[in-house]
Amino acid sequence: MKVRALALNTFSSLVRNKIIILFCAGCVCILLFMLSTLLVIRNMRTTQNLEQMQAAVLPLIASMMGFVSGFGSLLAAWSAADAVSSEMRSGTIFAVMARPVRRWEFLLGKYLGVQLMMLVFVLLMTGLDYLLAWIGGAKIQSSPLALMVYPMVLYAVYSAIGMLFVTVMHPVFSFCIVLVMAIFAQLVAPTANTTFLPHWLKTGLFYVLPSTGLLSVSRFLTVTRSTLKLATWGEHATALVYGLDYALVCFVLAAWIFHSRSLSRE
Amino acid sequence: MPAVPIEFQRVTKVYKRLFSEERIEALSDISFQTAPGQVCAFLGPNGAGKTTSISLLMGFFFANSGEIRVLGYPPGDIRAKRDIGFLPENFAFYKFLTGPQLLRLHVQLAGRNPIDGEGRIRDLLAKVKLAGYENLKIGKYSRGMVQRIGIAQALLCEPQLVVLDEPTSGLDPAGRREVLQILAGLKSEGRTIFLSSHILPEVEQIADHVVIINRGKLVRAGSLSDLLAAGNRVEILADRLPEDLEQSAAAWGVTVERGPDGVSLLVDAARKRETVEALWTAGCDVIAMNPLRRTLEELFLKEVDSGGGAQ
Repeated sequence: MKVRALALNTFSSLVRNKIIILFCAGCVCILLFMLSTLLVIRNMRTTQNLEQMQAAVLPLIASMMGFVSGFGSLLAAWSAADAVSSEMRSGTIFAVMARPVRRWEFLLGKYLGVQLMMLVFVLLMTGLDYLLAWIGGAKIQSSPLALMVYPMVLYAVYSAIGMLFVTVMHPVFSFCIVLVMAIFAQLVAPTANTTFLPHWLKTGLFYVLPSTGLLSVSRFLTVTRSTLKLATWGEHATALVYGLDYALVCFVLAAWIFHSRSLSRE
Repeated sequence: MPAVPIEFQRVTKVYKRLFSEERIEALSDISFQTAPGQVCAFLGPNGAGKTTSISLLMGFFFANSGEIRVLGYPPGDIRAKRDIGFLPENFAFYKFLTGPQLLRLHVQLAGRNPIDGEGRIRDLLAKVKLAGYENLKIGKYSRGMVQRIGIAQALLCEPQLVVLDEPTSGLDPAGRREVLQILAGLKSEGRTIFLSSHILPEVEQIADHVVIINRGKLVRAGSLSDLLAAGNRVEILADRLPEDLEQSAAAWGVTVERGPDGVSLLVDAARKRETVEALWTAGCDVIAMNPLRRTLEELFLKEVDSGGGAQ
């Protein structure tokens, strides 16, 4: 009951958060710009240049989907960091924590509120994926459930990391660290041709940082080829459990730090 | 036997900056306790350590040394928090909620069924004069309305112990009187109130016990009547005062004020009998004799100005 009340209140607060609204408005503007380019290319398509135009449309769709997914990760990290820090900054946490609420319950309520917002984002994102695929003349051949579960787990990881860092630092620093982590996670992936990092560091970071490649839907879905890469249930389960485990470890660490820190207006 | 509502035993709190040797001792070896059903006024100038103390007892901060018990439990223990109503200083709120929505949220946070709390919410809104504003978002409230909804949330779960940090701040005189009436009602119900305020005449009306701190140290603690009675003086009103007697009175430390109704002599309580007998012997008529009590404000200013708590 307490955690649910906190989660719903956090969700209501986040959807009214001016920074998040601004963040989303920026994302929508970029998407609309990309969409207009996409529609122009699509309308220039003739029987003579069909293959050439298709080759231009599909990578654009793939990059839009990648952009939305990457934006979601950052949104999750920022929302989690802000959900906790804004309570401290404004002082609303004092009246809440004066109630019989344990500190981990407070954090869990905040975390679940963020996940609720990310669920709405994922639903919109999935709809956009289908819309883009339709515009591009491609067909998404994956289960919509997989298209939603993978980003949700990825966002659960990033929001847990954001929440972990914000328990000890300012939300902007926390967000920047998550951003750097996300970039490095891409750079140290086995598929990346990163040469400027020594092998030992690359391997070390690969094990420590969240494996965004493993949790990316592009592992089994490629719009550019409109085909479904084969992924067994075992592979799905391994990837998702890995993500949830990573998020759980980060959340438990955040709860442990939050348990022993002073609550003051920052 | 009910547990002691608040108990501080040799509590010290030091603030330290990260990566710095700088230490600020916010509280130093503070000990006091309150009794059940008592209204305890917690006083001190700005920066004395009042908010730090309240944050410690609510479990927001952790003491460096000493022991704090709240309703018999350590601070922050949810068994204690079930019976505590708390109004923080500068009560902050979720601006997008209405008053009833905020109270419903707090009912849920208290682990109670919001449906069962509806009647209580209605009563409280009426009690803090917010009935009729049910659909107004808290973001549109005036400062006084915010303070009143804060008081309503503190009283929501019928707490045994009410901790109020500046409850009348931002309220107009009528609002302050209403808050005092609410507090008097709580006192008559036998609830313990721990109250921090700068408006001392109001505190004096309601408090049973006073704790004064200054610069992180305990200056005075005791029952209000004892503290105000200490250093008692008596006002003796006589019809006249002969000159020779006035000289003797000055030597005894008597303050003489002449007025239209006669002569007023402010005398230490210990010398009242001697003064009255001297007046009678001199043929003067003693019209009245009234004990003079210090006000809480006088006591507070005396303690703070004398550097109580200074190292």
